[in-house]
Amino acid sequence: MNLPIKSISVCLFAFGLIANAHAILPIDQLDSYKGAKAYLVQTKALPMVDIEVSIDAGDRYDPAGKSGLADMAAGLMNYGVKGDKGILTEAQIADEIADLGANIGLSVGGERAILRIRSLSRKDLRDRAVKLAAAMLSTPTYDAKIVEREKQRTITSLQEAETKPEYVLERRFKKSVYGNYPLADSPSVKSVSAVSVSDLKQFHQQFYRGDRMIVSIVGDVDRAQANEIVQALLKQIPPSGQIIAKLPELQRSPVEPLTQREIQIPFDSQQAHIAMGMTAIARSNPDYFPLLVGNYILGGGGFVSRLMSEVREKRGLAYSVFSYFAPGKDNGIFQAGLQTKNDQASQALEVMSSTIAQFIADGPTPSELVAAKANLVNGYPLRIDNNRKLLDNISSIAWNDLPLDTMDVWAKQVEAVTLEQVKAAFQKHLAMDRMKIVVLGAKNK
Amino acid sequence: MLSNLLRISFLVIVFAQPSWAAGPDSADTYEYQLSNGLKLIVREDHRAPTVAHMVWYRAGSMDEVNGKTGVAHVLEHMMFKGTHKVKAGEFSRLVAAVGGRENAFTSRDYTAYFQQVEKSKLEEVIKLEADRMSNLNFDDAEFLKEIQVVMEERRLRTEDNPSSLLNESLMASAYMSSPYRHPVVGWMNDLQNMKASDARDWYRSWYAPNNATVVIAGDVDAKKILAMVEKYYGVAAAHELPVRKPQIEPTQKGIKSAQVKVPADSAQLAMAWKVPRLEPGKLDDPEPYALELLTAVLDGYDNARLNRVLVKQEKVVNDIGVGYDMISRGPELFLISATMSKGKTVAQAQASIRKALDELKQKGILESELKRIKVRILSEQIYKRDSIFGQAMEIGSTEMAEFSWKDIDYMLRKMQTITPNQVQAVAKKYLVDDGLTVAVLDPQVRKSEGKEGK
Repeated sequence: MNLPIKSISVCLFAFGLIANAHAILPIDQLDSYKGAKAYLVQTKALPMVDIEVSIDAGDRYDPAGKSGLADMAAGLMNYGVKGDKGILTEAQIADEIADLGANIGLSVGGERAILRIRSLSRKDLRDRAVKLAAAMLSTPTYDAKIVEREKQRTITSLQEAETKPEYVLERRFKKSVYGNYPLADSPSVKSVSAVSVSDLKQFHQQFYRGDRMIVSIVGDVDRAQANEIVQALLKQIPPSGQIIAKLPELQRSPVEPLTQREIQIPFDSQQAHIAMGMTAIARSNPDYFPLLVGNYILGGGGFVSRLMSEVREKRGLAYSVFSYFAPGKDNGIFQAGLQTKNDQASQALEVMSSTIAQFIADGPTPSELVAAKANLVNGYPLRIDNNRKLLDNISSIAWNDLPLDTMDVWAKQVEAVTLEQVKAAFQKHLAMDRMKIVVLGAKNK
Repeated sequence: MLSNLLRISFLVIVFAQPSWAAGPDSADTYEYQLSNGLKLIVREDHRAPTVAHMVWYRAGSMDEVNGKTGVAHVLEHMMFKGTHKVKAGEFSRLVAAVGGRENAFTSRDYTAYFQQVEKSKLEEVIKLEADRMSNLNFDDAEFLKEIQVVMEERRLRTEDNPSSLLNESLMASAYMSSPYRHPVVGWMNDLQNMKASDARDWYRSWYAPNNATVVIAGDVDAKKILAMVEKYYGVAAAHELPVRKPQIEPTQKGIKSAQVKVPADSAQLAMAWKVPRLEPGKLDDPEPYALELLTAVLDGYDNARLNRVLVKQEKVVNDIGVGYDMISRGPELFLISATMSKGKTVAQAQASIRKALDELKQKGILESELKRIKVRILSEQIYKRDSIFGQAMEIGSTEMAEFSWKDIDYMLRKMQTITPNQVQAVAKKYLVDDGLTVAVLDPQVRKSEGKEGK
């Protein structure tokens, strides 16, 4: 079937439709405030607004021995704040959010902490939601009793997680792949126990400041209203603060003999869980697009990837098998994984390894490349077809310092990728003799 | 947690603050029936040039019979394994080629398939989906591989997952005769003994236009869609469906309990009461709405009663959640589940839950508590419109329970009329021991946790 050839011409046409009838909405750079950059995409169809503040205060800034501090600094913001009329308790905050019909959520990843607000765009409701979020961001109280309670809850959850194969695997894999980089450490009972109220206050004071923040807004507000939102959010935030020590560089996974790279974790579960991967690229790396297209073919493309075909379709070895690049602002990793019943673990690992090795060695076939581009380009509208997805996009563009026309040229950049570029990029960034491997499961053989 | 209806719904309610209400409403939704019995519902939403295409079959695990549990879900997997024209695996390749995202899911009540595409690609996926409605043709070798995949899925999601094992045990204990007692994925032994012919029989029995609803939401023109759907789905032949036995669960006459000993660290507790669901044709029955609101009063936001008292004040549980969904084909449970705090017992948690429920039963709830929940429901109606896929999901799941998408508007209005007294009344009437099942996860240390090696 020569379908891929046909679909490539169709896809170019389709993209034209979007560019004409539905122009990709422009990103408007708002006024900087307190050293924070801010961006807006206006969408008027629904009377709602999504607001995100990204803070350069992710897990990688956890001090040695205190893994979990960054998580708690953000996670405890909705449990008590100093408002302009005195303290607002956790109960008052929760009731106010509910009464506004708003959502305010906090999350922390390796690189950044994220505060997200979803509110109706009606001014009185929106203003109250923004005001409350501003207090959470700038004046959390970190009340000692609540800190103690939440530490205990975190510890209980951690101990539960430590009985789960997927958690134990992921934690061990991170330790291997991140080496001396701070993301190698995961929270433990000991490290969470070590976090004190003064650690939280100090971390907040150090990291929650304008020059480490970016605000992204999508929804039914105009530029002037969006500027007001940014100013209200950051009103009490200091523009800068003391210099923060630079993090070490993430060292490339070294060439090592297999015995040094592969870890076996005995675990009494029905399935073995397997992770394989190594350090890779940051989002700004020029090889981003060749690796994106290539990984779609290798293990990213849903039901049609090589890994899915070899492991699941041809051999029935696993329900889920995947590979991905996780490119961050400063660095990133490549990871592949699967789960299979214990007595098939060696076979599944062998199939996964040889599939990845062959792809690195030979690259994709011409028809695979055409099919991958067709999927990515034809499917691009699905990545930006609602407010939440647009927010994800502009926040990523802003965080990674990408050009503001990134969404407009995305499909062109995918189109431009050649076979040689994919092969060269995989060979440059990945190597089988550098891959860290973790196999968790019952020993067999 | 609120039910799917409340979470996914987008319809706007006439209410005191009209500026919240804007955008499309049911006037943008069109319903048709083809002569072969296929129902088509089109929701026009022109915000972005994309479309969600779903086909829903009213055949879920509740329609399975003894020894063949899991066959609805196994067939869902086999639907990707070829037709007379499209060879195994080709379906997904063709959807991928047009940039589509696709998947399928099976529940107790239904099996559904979907693709999301840029709008000019819609015809391509309709053609493929309509083809596999009538022309599925997989060989035994494909079945033998795929049943292994399904068993891996069960290992991943159930066998190695303590919460799933607890839930499986809870359902099997709570129900005696209702097919809801079986897990959707099926019992492992039934999967081990399943044959390709079981899956084919299932397909021949239930996959017919007169048992299907197609839902299309997005940037489309309903009239053109009707023509397209006629062209491809119109050729499918209707046939008589198997007789569905009611299998009504007998009234429970006393408390039941179950215990599950599996590797875990924290004990877990699940308390489930038999409660009514909303029945088609009885949209004015206040009880299911009151149960939905009771769920939210207990667990609808961070300062809701159970979280406030048990997690934050008494610190007896680490997490707690409440589940109830008034829209379903089969019987409903009102479920409270919790994970113990360190050093606290299941008995202590159960006592605290009972105390919180007793207080609510005796003193009722505040008007302000209920108002807070109702505001939340209204704002969620706006937020959910951000997703066209969510809109298609809401329409399809409602239709599968034998309601019309047109009822959704009415249900949401009805919800706003429920009073604190009605919420208190359902708590008193239904949260009683005679209809209660208690399941406990008793955590065990894993046998073979040893030292890692290289």
